[in-house]
Amino acid sequence: MKNLKKYFHTSGGVLHAVDDVSFQIQKGKTMGVVGESGCGKSTLGRTILCLNEPTAGEILFHGQDIAGLKKKEMNKIRPKMQMIFQDPYSSLNGRMTVRRLIEEPLIVNKVCKNKQELKERTDQIMETVGLAPRLAMSYPHELDGGRRQRIGIARALVLNPEFVVCDEPVSALDVSIQAQILNLLMDLQEKFGLTYLFITHDLSVVRHISDEIMVMYLGKCVERASFEEIFKNPVHPYTKALLAAIPIPSVESCHKRRELIQGEVTSPVDPKPGCRFAARCPYATEACRQSDIPLKEVAPGHMAACLRV
Amino acid sequence: MEQVLKIEDLSICYKTDLETVYAVNGISFSIGAGETMGLVGETGAGKTTTALGIMGLLPERTGKITSGKILFEDQDLCGMTEHELLHIRGQKISMIFQDPMTALNPVLTVGDQIGEALYLHNQDGLSQKEIDKKVEETLEMVGIPKERKKEYPYQFSGGMRQRVVIAIALVCNPSLLIADEPTTALDVTIQAQILSMICDLQRKYGTSVIMITHDLGVVAETCDKVGIMYAGEIVEYGTLADIFTGEKHHPYTDGLFGSIPSLTENSRRLHPIEGLMPDPTELPKGCRFAPRCKRCSEICRQKKPPVYEENGHQIRCHLFSGKEDAR
Repeated sequence: MKNLKKYFHTSGGVLHAVDDVSFQIQKGKTMGVVGESGCGKSTLGRTILCLNEPTAGEILFHGQDIAGLKKKEMNKIRPKMQMIFQDPYSSLNGRMTVRRLIEEPLIVNKVCKNKQELKERTDQIMETVGLAPRLAMSYPHELDGGRRQRIGIARALVLNPEFVVCDEPVSALDVSIQAQILNLLMDLQEKFGLTYLFITHDLSVVRHISDEIMVMYLGKCVERASFEEIFKNPVHPYTKALLAAIPIPSVESCHKRRELIQGEVTSPVDPKPGCRFAARCPYATEACRQSDIPLKEVAPGHMAACLRV
Repeated sequence: MEQVLKIEDLSICYKTDLETVYAVNGISFSIGAGETMGLVGETGAGKTTTALGIMGLLPERTGKITSGKILFEDQDLCGMTEHELLHIRGQKISMIFQDPMTALNPVLTVGDQIGEALYLHNQDGLSQKEIDKKVEETLEMVGIPKERKKEYPYQFSGGMRQRVVIAIALVCNPSLLIADEPTTALDVTIQAQILSMICDLQRKYGTSVIMITHDLGVVAETCDKVGIMYAGEIVEYGTLADIFTGEKHHPYTDGLFGSIPSLTENSRRLHPIEGLMPDPTELPKGCRFAPRCKRCSEICRQKKPPVYEENGHQIRCHLFSGKEDAR
């Protein structure tokens, strides 16, 4: 993906949701995207799948630019790229049975030749994601969050995609269920060689599942590195602040004073030039507010957008 | 230490025509002055119901306290009339609600909403001017410029709204503050700001806090004592050190810790608890956790486990009762 931009035109001005983000994901790997609400993570995920038309930039999927494709051509590629949605409570049609929900992508894409094949594939995927066959005729409201999220995963995977965007797939779930779903996603990746773009705000989850992590702030990528690098040698002040802010479940960390960043995320509508984080950054200087700061390689494979590095 | 709140064998159920939901089943704990107690558990464990029970805010028709006592400053809140409760709720015990987006009234300015608690509990006979002054002080205390008191909730961000909710809860200087998932709806950097603010204010005014959360990290940072809830029972109760570094644990506590991805270690698989919470309308006969427990034996399915205690660290599990070295 190259220089992807997505602007929304609002009555208050132009909202820079995703601003000049570039990255690539290797097959079978997971790219984690972290950031606070409103930083453009979800918009990024939707734009990559062309659910939102990108304002500028290229999205290369197997070398083919899919940004400007016609609807008909896009429909051919779409089965290869799927999405798991955030909220398993609102992303499923409440008037369809579990079987119908999982069949739907197969029917829409006219994959199966006959009813027999349709049933087989549905049964197969239900087993893969760990849904008992007896649940096939139930409705989503009868199931708990964990099972519903499994339906969402089954819907995304039934077409044998290569690339899946997971938009906060576990943030609506309890920790014990969250761990079950994370294990499932990782097993499936191993089994089918899936490539994930994993969007989340939870740093411990992203560390667990990702190979590479990208930290976003107000539509910009501020730092990108392997998951070990980000946690060991964070460079950008925002990444550092984000890491410092996580409450750690151990006694050693308790009652310890931490360095907190003050203030809140500024508006992404018509942003001023310069580093987006400058308003909250303790090290910000005049130079930070002058012009946009490009990503710089600080170590092999470790990119950061900060003047201080 | 002086006990601010003492709960003895509290049970709460919700009754409808069709079924009875046993939300809280015989829990006991106490909080001293200035202490923070953490209540941890998953959705449906009965954490919020406990809080509503203490506040006397259970839904009138369905929610019912079936047994037990809630002793607040040596008075039993269960036997009080609605009128007597009015003098305690909001003044001596107050609550921070989970979702700051819906907890505020959208058509009143934040200044009016903070002042409302003072009008209603105006024991010192404050004049309008004094109330205004106190509102401004409270706003500054939670880190909002006092000029913003004439603004409406929609003009504030999530973190700022939660500060307003905290200001409302603290304006009467309560002796007990119940914080029901105060930071769940907020981003991590804002969460860290709000938590450190709650801790600072607590130290300053000596307020006791019940911190309800599902995040063990939040507990580690803020609490002195911890109660782990599962299906309406406190399955493990002890000091922070007991829960986080102690040797003996309830299998559910072990499961909770195993489910959290670590920030320091590289493990490619988590160890979640299999299965789901039991349906609170028909709870298992023996131990509530037995159907999901890896170390469950026959006795667990038959008999309710007794409480094993060691220096105040309580575990409700058959593994430890009678045979201390079962582990």
